[in-house]
Amino acid sequence: MNLSFFDQFSSPSLFGIPLILISLTFPALLLPSPDNRWVTNRLSTLQLWLINLITKQLMTPLNKKGHKWALILTSLMIFLLLVNLLGLLPYTFTPTTQLSMNLALAFPLWLATLLTGLRNQPSTTLGHLLPEGTPTLLIPALIMIETTSLLIRPLALGVRLTANLTAGHLLIQLISTATVALYSTMPAISLLTLLILLLLTILEVAVAMIQAYVFVLLLSLYLQENI
Amino acid sequence: MLSRLVLRAAPAALRALPPPVAVGVLHTTRPLHTTQQSLAPVPPLPEKGGEVRHGLIPEEFFQFLYPKTGVTGPYMLGTGLLLYLLSKEIYVINHETVASACILAVIIYGIKKFGADVAAFADKLNEEKVSAAQAMKNEAMQALQTAIEEEKKEQWRVEGHTYLFDAKRNNIAMLLETNYRERLMMVYNEVKKRLDYQVALQTLKRQKEQDHMIQWVEKNVIQSITPQQQKESIAKCILDLKALSKSAHAAV
Repeated sequence: MNLSFFDQFSSPSLFGIPLILISLTFPALLLPSPDNRWVTNRLSTLQLWLINLITKQLMTPLNKKGHKWALILTSLMIFLLLVNLLGLLPYTFTPTTQLSMNLALAFPLWLATLLTGLRNQPSTTLGHLLPEGTPTLLIPALIMIETTSLLIRPLALGVRLTANLTAGHLLIQLISTATVALYSTMPAISLLTLLILLLLTILEVAVAMIQAYVFVLLLSLYLQENI
Repeated sequence: MLSRLVLRAAPAALRALPPPVAVGVLHTTRPLHTTQQSLAPVPPLPEKGGEVRHGLIPEEFFQFLYPKTGVTGPYMLGTGLLLYLLSKEIYVINHETVASACILAVIIYGIKKFGADVAAFADKLNEEKVSAAQAMKNEAMQALQTAIEEEKKEQWRVEGHTYLFDAKRNNIAMLLETNYRERLMMVYNEVKKRLDYQVALQTLKRQKEQDHMIQWVEKNVIQSITPQQQKESIAKCILDLKALSKSAHAAV
């Protein structure tokens, strides 16, 4: 099959049936289900350890009311980690490269934090719009700036994830195309490009994990401000 | 009616599945919650996972092909399949091939380098969990053992109590005896004092009577001495004295 650079990012469909739902829910099938036993096999133990680590990391800065968000934040983290890492395999579609999906994740969660803050502690939430110790003359300008920065958060969250993953995948594709194209004419340069591709792949693995972590961390930070 | 048949037959059929699956579906085997719930004893986990060659292909596949094609059979099959796919361009080499080679290299390197460590870490986590519970169990057993020994010591102590009580009894008997004797002595002394008093009283009375009588006799005698008698006695005494002096002179 001849792939163009857009095929990696097109939503998968088979005979016109969109497979996006399968591509979203399939990663969950790869995780071992919690067993009824006390001492489990290695995979279940590691999964439990990882989930404990993530939840502790996310929930430590939050007060007791914020612990209600433990389930959604941890499951979001696991989902993004899995989906990003699986997308690095060849010929796989990464749902998080779609801006629509990331905005759909970021916007409601951010709005939830904002509305929680406005409902429970409106003055504190509005007070966040003005940092302490600003000169009186700058107050109107600063409030405008802070409001803009507040309202741009969901966009930033979504676009950050999309851009990082899309850029990474695109780079991998471009450099591997260069490797293939150079192979017949200048094999040595092709080898060099292959080396670059290897390093890039390692970077992409790291970026996949970091972007998932950053997304969830920022959400927990917005929650910390508002709860 | 057929549904009732299915409901009755389903638990037995589901329990007949291999143990790992049966544990998972046990919840559905009691749809009407009529029987006893029992999830223990859980069948033990197998010691090792299934044997795989090259990390992907199960050993059973090689064993399956061994009788007909020998040791190199599966490899020939793999190579032939790959070459067929490539030469017929069923699989086209494109940029994704290179990318997949890279990611596979990274994955294999990661597994080879960190696989054993991660496995050891997972084992350590399990080991810690089990050893913590085991330690608690051992502590409890130790505490009970100590309690048993303490109890035995207490029982031995109780046996010694008889001697203690005997000694105490003797002690008390001696005290009582001493006390009795003291009181006996006291009684004796008191009685003696009383009797002495009576004796002294009588002695005094006798003496007083004697004194009184002597005095009375003396008084009467002195009273009865008339002057005549007095002159006569004095004259007699002078005569006696003269006689005596004469005899004394003579003696000298």
